[in-house]
Order: sequence, then structure tokens, then C-alpha cells
Amino acid sequence: MIQKKICMVGVFATGKTSMVRQFVFSKYSEKYHSTVGVKVDRKDVDVQGTTVRLLLWDLEGRDGHQELQTSYLRGAAGILYVVDGTRRETFDQLFELRTAVNSAIGAVPSIVAVNKADLTDQWQITDEELDTLDASQWHQLKTSAKTGQGVEETFSWLAHAMLKGGQS
Amino acid sequence: MADDPLQTGLDASEERSDPLRSAEFAELRRLLLSYEQHELEELRQRIEAMGLTPEELAEHLPEAVALRTGSDEKLARALAPTLEGAFTESVHRNPDQIATAIYPILGPAIRKAIADTMAGLVNTINRAFEHSLSWQGIKWRLEAWRTGVSYAQVVIKHGLVYRVEEVYLIHAQTGLLLASVTVEDLEAQDPDVISGMLTAIRDFVRDSWHSRSSQGLRHFMVDESTVLVEPGPYAQLAAKVRGQPPDHLLSQMQATLETIHLQFSKALQRYDGDASPFETAKPLMEDLLETVVTTDQSQTRSVAPRIAWAVLGILVVLLGVLWIRSNRRWNTAVATLDREPGIVLLEADRSFRRWRFSGLRDPVAADPMTLLSTLGVDSSRITADWEPYLSFDPDLVVERGRQLLGAPVSVTFSLTGDTLEGRGTAPASWVGRTSVSAPSVPGVVHLDLTNVNPEFPTEITRLRMLVEGERIRFAVGSAALPPGTRTQLRRLADAVVELRTWAGDLSYRAELELVGRTDSTGSNETNQVLSQVRADAVARALVTLGVTGEVVHPTGIGTADPVSADSPEAAARENRSVSFAVRLTRAGSGEGERQ
Repeated sequence: MIQKKICMVGVFATGKTSMVRQFVFSKYSEKYHSTVGVKVDRKDVDVQGTTVRLLLWDLEGRDGHQELQTSYLRGAAGILYVVDGTRRETFDQLFELRTAVNSAIGAVPSIVAVNKADLTDQWQITDEELDTLDASQWHQLKTSAKTGQGVEETFSWLAHAMLKGGQS
Repeated sequence: MADDPLQTGLDASEERSDPLRSAEFAELRRLLLSYEQHELEELRQRIEAMGLTPEELAEHLPEAVALRTGSDEKLARALAPTLEGAFTESVHRNPDQIATAIYPILGPAIRKAIADTMAGLVNTINRAFEHSLSWQGIKWRLEAWRTGVSYAQVVIKHGLVYRVEEVYLIHAQTGLLLASVTVEDLEAQDPDVISGMLTAIRDFVRDSWHSRSSQGLRHFMVDESTVLVEPGPYAQLAAKVRGQPPDHLLSQMQATLETIHLQFSKALQRYDGDASPFETAKPLMEDLLETVVTTDQSQTRSVAPRIAWAVLGILVVLLGVLWIRSNRRWNTAVATLDREPGIVLLEADRSFRRWRFSGLRDPVAADPMTLLSTLGVDSSRITADWEPYLSFDPDLVVERGRQLLGAPVSVTFSLTGDTLEGRGTAPASWVGRTSVSAPSVPGVVHLDLTNVNPEFPTEITRLRMLVEGERIRFAVGSAALPPGTRTQLRRLADAVVELRTWAGDLSYRAELELVGRTDSTGSNETNQVLSQVRADAVARALVTLGVTGEVVHPTGIGTADPVSADSPEAAARENRSVSFAVRLTRAGSGEGERQ
């Protein structure tokens, strides 16, 4: 069996833990729990007939320009960036985060989950802005940890990307 | 250049013949062979640096091997794959040779393996037996049942010194699990996540303390378990140990990790998420799993309480049995005394060793002590206080009568109303004496001894037979005593007197009845008178011979009750006579006795 380490990276309260919970346990809770340090979970996914065991390192959300704790990133085969669609600043810090990650572990397959898709009325990021990600060859998907929308797809895409060894 | 031995040799010969030519040769040599010369020089320097020629190496190799083997196990580990390969190759090529070579060690090895297995089995059985029968064993079983944990786990929990329960081989960089092993009866709990978290925790600690060393967090405790981590360049080994981990475990882990790095160096370097090559590392890791349980400790601790429990148990059973037996005996004793005629039990109580009774007792009633001792009661434990009283229970009245009358055993008594009646036989002396002066028996008004046959002494019987055997015969129609009867009458009179003396001694009165008869000739009136006259004549004669007149009773019956004989003549002769009968009467009763 193939095992891969994925790190969930993003500003605090973007829904990283909720996404993991939705993906691994199919559960969602309105209650907010701030992750301290890191929490590791596991989920097996099927990639074209091969079972891949994903070890999901749910990293503590960063606040503003706080330094990223890079030691948790070591050995990660994929990065899942999580952005809160209802909070502009989470999107704004995305590139800064990517730079920090890449300088720590090099370029690995990654994807951006634009979370909280169930709250489109409070959306603060335009589709045009999101298209800029595509322009920089950075795959992105709208997700909702609450409804489960796009969650499975996001992890699945990342698993594929990691197996191919490619990067986006 | 001048140091080169080849060159020096050549130069010497050349210089001697022609210095010019030699300079040219040298130039030529330099032009043609400069590259090879340079190479030779390098080789020479390298050999010098090694300080060893192959010959020298061959010479030093055994020592070097011995030296390295003594210091650590790296050489053995490095050589192991080569040796294994060589051995496999040899077995393939010529199995017989190997079989012959190892034959001398094969037999003992098999025997030892069997012996070890048997010893282990016996030990297991012993321990199982010990655990299942001891109080501790029962307690542990209860605990296992209550908590739903397996019995083996409970035993380990209590008797454990330490147990290496889980061993993880973790990829150093990614924190991904390469392999994990767990003790047999334990289920591993999400080893993938644990190895990830373990790596994360170590990272966190290292970051927090700004530790530069690669060692980092190597040792922490979770509840009753200790987690030991041995870090390596490509992989780390983590062991979860329940109890107190021994000192040697860390060095053992170190050695295992080194071996893994040696054997799996390529797989570790190329690792990209596929853990399958590390399956073969599991046996190495399993060597670390170890359970050490204190059986000595439990033995020394458990023997004394077990004996105490056994003794206590036996004591309780014994006391129980004794208590039941004592209780039953007590109840029987009380019931027996209650039932016994002539005993009125008023109080009965008992303490630890003493039984106390008090009440009323008729003197003729059975002895309570004797009664109780027949029930198996130790009479020394009994205190009894009996007040005398008279019981009118018929049995006791009879018994009292027997005792007061001094009756022989041949006489049985029964009480009907207030009359005590005797039956059977008794010496005439007792019958006579009792009839004259019977002592008063409480509860008895009348004493009836009519059904008691008196047994007379032989002297009285003999005299009686003698008297009753006599007959005074008369001549036809005469009442005169015939001349020859004088002696007969004296003998008779003496016997009667003697008989009366004997009878008197027994409180009896002996009386003599004289019966006069006639033959059948003549009228009845005449015969009646004649028979009376004959009896009177004999009576008078006896009185004159000393017999008291008032005990002589002459009667004439004529021909009323004739004596029979063989012929009419003989019958007539026998009937012309006076015969005798003795009557013995109890003095004072007025009742007669006739035999």
C-alpha cells in the first residue's frame, strides 16, 4: 500500500479541521475548535485501482504574518491550502504561504480549497480573482466542509496529482 | 622521481655506460612513459598509504576480524547477507555435504528444542493452575469478567514488570509508518496515525526547545506506558512499553535500528510511500517484543495468605460441623430429658463448654447423667441440679412398688387404678412376708399377689408329700384304729409338726385336713356317720401325739368321692380309710393355698 503525507495549510478558522472531519468521518460540527500544533488523521482513497493511504496533517491555522512552523511540513507529498471564501484576508495571504511552504520543502503537488461555499451570500472573493490562481497553474476547487461539497473531490485530485508525481 | 626503484635501477646502468646516452634515454622515457610513470607513482603512494600489501592483509585479516567482532556486531551484520548467500549456494550445490556436516549438532538441537518446549508447556500449565486456583486468580478472573478485558491482560496488568507491547518503524522524514508489530493478544490502535502524531510531537518538542540535535524527545510516559524513541538518519524506531522499561531496551532498539538501516538502506533512501519492502523488517522488530512477569514475586506474596485462607476455611467448616453437631446433641438431650418419666426439666441453658440443667426428679426415675451419656454427651461438661419429687406416672409407681417391696425379678407388676397386681413366681418366703407386712407404696392402695405362685423350699415339699402319701385303713364296719397304726400315726404327727414349723418360718400356716371314707356296702347314712367317726378317731390320736388340735380338720364323706382301684375288693379296702391333705395358708390373709 502507498502512503502519502498531506499537510493542510491555511489561515486560522478557514475550515481545515472541518474539512478533514468531513472527509474522514463524514461529520460536521458548527462549533469552532482551534487546532493547537497539529492533528494527524488517516483516510484510504482509491486512485485508479491503487489504494492510497493519506495521512492528513491538520496544521494549526496561522494568524496574519506569523511564521509558518515548517517542521511539520517535512516529508509532505502534497499540500492542501484552505481559504475562507467569506474572508478576503485568507485569500490574500495564500501566496505568501505558498512561498513559505515551497522554500521549506520545495514544490510538491498542491491544491487550493476555497471553503465555505455554502455561504455564497457572504462571499468576499470574486471568480475573477480565483481565475488568477488558474493562471498561475494552481488548481482550485470550491468546497463546503458543512455540506461536503467538493471535499472528496479536492482530496481525490490531490491524491492523483501526488501519484503522478506532477505538481500544479 | 629519484625514489622510484625502477627508474633508479635503470639510471644506474645507463650512467655507467654513457652519460650522454643516458640523458637522451631519460628524455625519451619521459616523453614516452610520463603518463604511466605518473600512474605508477600514484599507485605506489596509495599502497604506502594503506600500509598493507595483499599478503600483509591476508596475514592481518583473522586478527582484524576477531578485533572487530569483539568491539561490536557491525561486521557480523555486514557479513550476514554474504554468508547467507554462500550457505544457500552451498546447499543448492551439494546438500549431502551440509547435511553430513551439521548432523552431529542436529540431533542435540532437536532434543533441546523439544525439552525447551515441554518445559515451557509445563511452566504454562503450572502458572495456569496456580492462577486459576489461587484466591488471586479468582480475584483476577472476577476483574476480567467485570471489566470485559481478557484474563491474560489482567494477569499481565498485575504481575507485570514490563512488556514491550508495540514497536513502530517510522520513516524519519515523512513520519509515515513503515512497519509495526504488536504483542499477540493486543490489537494495534491506528498505528499510522500514532506514528504521524509521534513524529509531530517530536517535531513540536524540537521546535519549542529550539533543539539542534537529531535526538530530540526520546522518552515520555502515557498512563502506565512509556514510549521510547530511537531516532536514525532515515527511520526511527518507537516502542510502547507498559511498566518499567529495562535499561537494556534502548541499546537493543539501537542495535535493531542499525541492522534495519544496514539491511534496508536502499529501500529507506528510495522510500516514496510504499511500505511493502519493510515487511521483512518485522521479525527484527518482533525480537524487541518481550513480556516479563514476576512469578517469583507473586509466589512469595501469595503462599502465606493462601495457607491462611485454607486454614481459615478448614476452621470455619470444622466449627460449623461442631456447632451443628453440638446443636443437634443439645436438642436431643433436652428432648430426652423432657420425655423421660419422673424428670421435669425446668431450666436448660448452655454456654461455650457447659450445659446446665435444673428441675425435679423422682428418685426412682432414670439417672439423667446415664441417659445423657448414652447420647454421647461428655458428662464432665454437665452441671445438673435436681430437686426430688414423687411422680404418679404409672411406670414410676410400679417401679417404686417393686423397689419398696423388694420384689424378685420373676415377678412383674401392673397398676390398675390404685391396685398393684403382681404376676409370676416368687419364693414363698417373699410372698408370705410381703403379704403380712407390705410397706405402703405412694399411689397404691391395694396389693394383689394372688397371681404370684409361691415357691416353697424342698423340705416343705418333701414333708407335704410324706404326709399326703399316708392312709389309715380300717376293718369292715369298724372305726377303731387298727393295732398296727400307732407307729404310722406317730410318723405322721411328727411330719405335721415339722411342716408347721417350716411353714411358720415363711409366714405360712400349715393345716391338715382328714378325709374319712367307707366302702360301698351298707346304707349311706350309716356310711356317712362311720366315715366321720373314723376321721375323728384319727384326729384325736394325732392331737394326743402332739399336733395342735385347731389345725386338724376331720371330715367324713362316706362314699361320695371314692378312691378307685384295680378290683372291687381292693377298692373296698382302700375306701375303708382316712387320707390326708396339707393346706398352706399365708398368715394374716385367710386365703388358703392348695397344691
